[in-house]
Amino acid sequence: MKTYIAQRLAIAVLTLLGMSLVIFTLLRLAPGDIVDILFSTAGYVSPSEKQAIMQELGMDRPYWVQYLEWLKQIVTGDLGKSYRYDLPAWQIIRPLLPVTIELAALSMVVAVLLGVPTGVISAVRQDSTLDYVLRVISLAGLSMPAFWLGMVIILTLVTWLQWIPPLTYVPPTEDFKLHAVQFALPALAVGYRSSALIMRITRSSLLEVLREDYIRTAWAKGQSGRIVVWRHALKNAMLPVVTVIGIEFAFLIGGLVVTETVFNLPGVARFLVQAILWRDYPIVQNLVMFIAIVVILSNLLVDMLYGVLDPRVRYGS
Amino acid sequence: MPRLRSLAVLIAIALVAVALATPAASQTPQVSQTPKPGGVLNIMLREDLSPGFAIHETATISTVWPGMPCFSNLVLFDPLKKTESADTVIGELAEKWSWQDNYRNLVFFLRKGVKWHDGQPFTAKDVKFTFDMLREAPDTPAKLRINPRKDWYANVEAIEAAEPHTVVFRLKKPQPSLLLMLASGYTPVYAAHVPPASYRTGCIGTGPFKLKEWRKGEYVEYVKNPDYFLKGRPYLDGLKYFVIVERGTRNAALQAGKLDVSFPGEISKTASEQLKKAVPKLVVTPFSANVSDNIIMNIKKPPFDNVKVRLAVSHAIDRRALVQAVHQGGAVVGASLAPKPWGFWGLGEKEITALPGYGKPADEKAKAKKLMAEVGFSPEKPLRVEMVTRAIAVYVDMASFVINELKQIGIEATLKQIETAQWHAMATRGDYQIGANLTGIGPDDPDANFYENYGCRSPRNYSQYCSEQVMKMVDAQSQELDPKKRLALVYAIQKKLEDDAARPILDWRLDYFTHWPHVKNLIPHQSIYNFGRMQEVWIDK
Repeated sequence: MKTYIAQRLAIAVLTLLGMSLVIFTLLRLAPGDIVDILFSTAGYVSPSEKQAIMQELGMDRPYWVQYLEWLKQIVTGDLGKSYRYDLPAWQIIRPLLPVTIELAALSMVVAVLLGVPTGVISAVRQDSTLDYVLRVISLAGLSMPAFWLGMVIILTLVTWLQWIPPLTYVPPTEDFKLHAVQFALPALAVGYRSSALIMRITRSSLLEVLREDYIRTAWAKGQSGRIVVWRHALKNAMLPVVTVIGIEFAFLIGGLVVTETVFNLPGVARFLVQAILWRDYPIVQNLVMFIAIVVILSNLLVDMLYGVLDPRVRYGS
Repeated sequence: MPRLRSLAVLIAIALVAVALATPAASQTPQVSQTPKPGGVLNIMLREDLSPGFAIHETATISTVWPGMPCFSNLVLFDPLKKTESADTVIGELAEKWSWQDNYRNLVFFLRKGVKWHDGQPFTAKDVKFTFDMLREAPDTPAKLRINPRKDWYANVEAIEAAEPHTVVFRLKKPQPSLLLMLASGYTPVYAAHVPPASYRTGCIGTGPFKLKEWRKGEYVEYVKNPDYFLKGRPYLDGLKYFVIVERGTRNAALQAGKLDVSFPGEISKTASEQLKKAVPKLVVTPFSANVSDNIIMNIKKPPFDNVKVRLAVSHAIDRRALVQAVHQGGAVVGASLAPKPWGFWGLGEKEITALPGYGKPADEKAKAKKLMAEVGFSPEKPLRVEMVTRAIAVYVDMASFVINELKQIGIEATLKQIETAQWHAMATRGDYQIGANLTGIGPDDPDANFYENYGCRSPRNYSQYCSEQVMKMVDAQSQELDPKKRLALVYAIQKKLEDDAARPILDWRLDYFTHWPHVKNLIPHQSIYNFGRMQEVWIDK
């Protein structure tokens, strides 16, 4: 097990190295840079002044020097300085991380709490009216973009209650109730979409397992439906579900852009888009690396969970 | 010797100052209702401040609007008066001012006892530091990273601060408009004892509000400056600007009462109607954003080096239809300065109708086709060009309308959208044929507009139009002391620019500034860039 984790972590480092190269290259291939944007806010461009700013920001150095400098910064824990804000990148990135992680985690909790039970009910009551109703609800969830649902929630609240969630981040230590409300609404909007996917995977996976011989044996032994479904069938049906949950979580970390924007939550995803628009390389590079790390770690966690759910899965030799 | 001479001049000036000082100079604005102190005003921002509070390094309302409460100018347009003109300029850091030597010297008598937010005293050194930096004087100790309004101070020969509370601006030639440019929100005085770069991350000003916190991408919070030099001001205890990137969320927050005030230039006619329908008691004030839609044509390159082609383009575009189709009536037609009553200097309806493109649409199209025929093109044998515009909806909508109009006279334009990061670089280089553009102007003043957008060497003269005759007229109006004669000259310049199709103006956008009725004394001016100081604003709750 330890060897397996060590191997995976070694591969993760190589993956991150490759990612860093891709991020760095793609950013430089995009048209324009921070200096163009700065001049854009001033409405003119002066080549000599542009050169001076490039020099000030260290952007006039060869690309490979800039790349190695960035790698060095990552290793030493100094993430450089934001071009846009003229402040250490870590100082800007740090407050964003808990917001996005909390929103993604809460969304996944909502998704699992909604998706798994409804998937089980749908599978057990296959082709019943309830099954059809749940499938329609899940299809609606898949078809409905989270940002659209978010906007509908906000407009409904404004129209009926003349109220909208807080416009700035409320830390739980300051006002836990308000904090919970602030996160519950976007988590519902995002979680509903993800729950639809989880529900469908749970249903199809469970249907497959319910037709296995060992389930028939359990029924023949006279075990109750609850034991058969929840203890014997569901545990085996969970492997693809866990995979989907892992993928969804990783996707959410970077994919919350519009939800964070609609609910005005100061998270990684919303900030990343602004940083890309400003070509704020130090912020973009480090935020994308953060997302890559989350994706790798969540994949690793999912692989670990396989062993817990199915003892036949062995790691390494 | 020069120092003694300066001193003598200053003494002489001081003796006549009281008599000569502009009557409005020493007044604080008149308030029509009895204001109540206290409360925090919640204000909308559509994007974060960039670059911070460094107003001198930018030309965007996104910085000026939230940055203004921190600073003071020498002079400012009266926040309580809608119209901006020389008559509505009031003193801020300058208690009084006086024009000397037939408008060649502008002397400011500064307030005493003014403190920077960090407790340091404000003196004439700060004024000299700021304006020497802006005009890039050879001996200036500081330099801005980007200096978009350097041209505003091209006529300033020297700035003298021989006494701690007197500053003299010596001009190369008379320029009454300088005072109006100094009254813009774009002209705060920086502190000499802090590096200009520090304004990108914080703010040390002398303004009515002190910066409490700027949480990046989230909000900017100010608290009342207890040492503010105007006694009894500001009325508010604080200001909070919320960064809300999504337009729907911004409007929902205003509707729900989480925000008290909209963002200048943000609310279209349609949006204001929707808000008013949802909350009838909201106060909506239409005003000119001092932003024009216009067509830039590269005069240095064929086919737009030919005035006939440029004029054909101008004749072809039905301005009034554009106002209805693109702005749903939320704009007005005008030439190169905002028309009355929205602006002070613009041509009236009668004069506008006589200009190319402003007559009856059918007649104008016929004139355009005739001109195109003269250069060998027709709808059957069209001239093919590439029209560039910024990849932002407000630009693209306008460009699409224009393309359709041009097609009718034999110009087939394909639309090329340019990313914001590339737009100004491309326009300044002249790396285009024809483009659909928006131009915002700080103060509603001919000098600020003509030198910036039509000056031969100005980097913002995107069409690269350069006329010796026009520049002489621009200089003449700038130096003209008789307001009537100056207005006549400004009218003549506007007609000439449209006749040359230098940069055909299509319309002037209106903003529908929206706030809750409890917000008092927040009065939009004829330019979005000049009314954000907030010292007179109070909340009636």
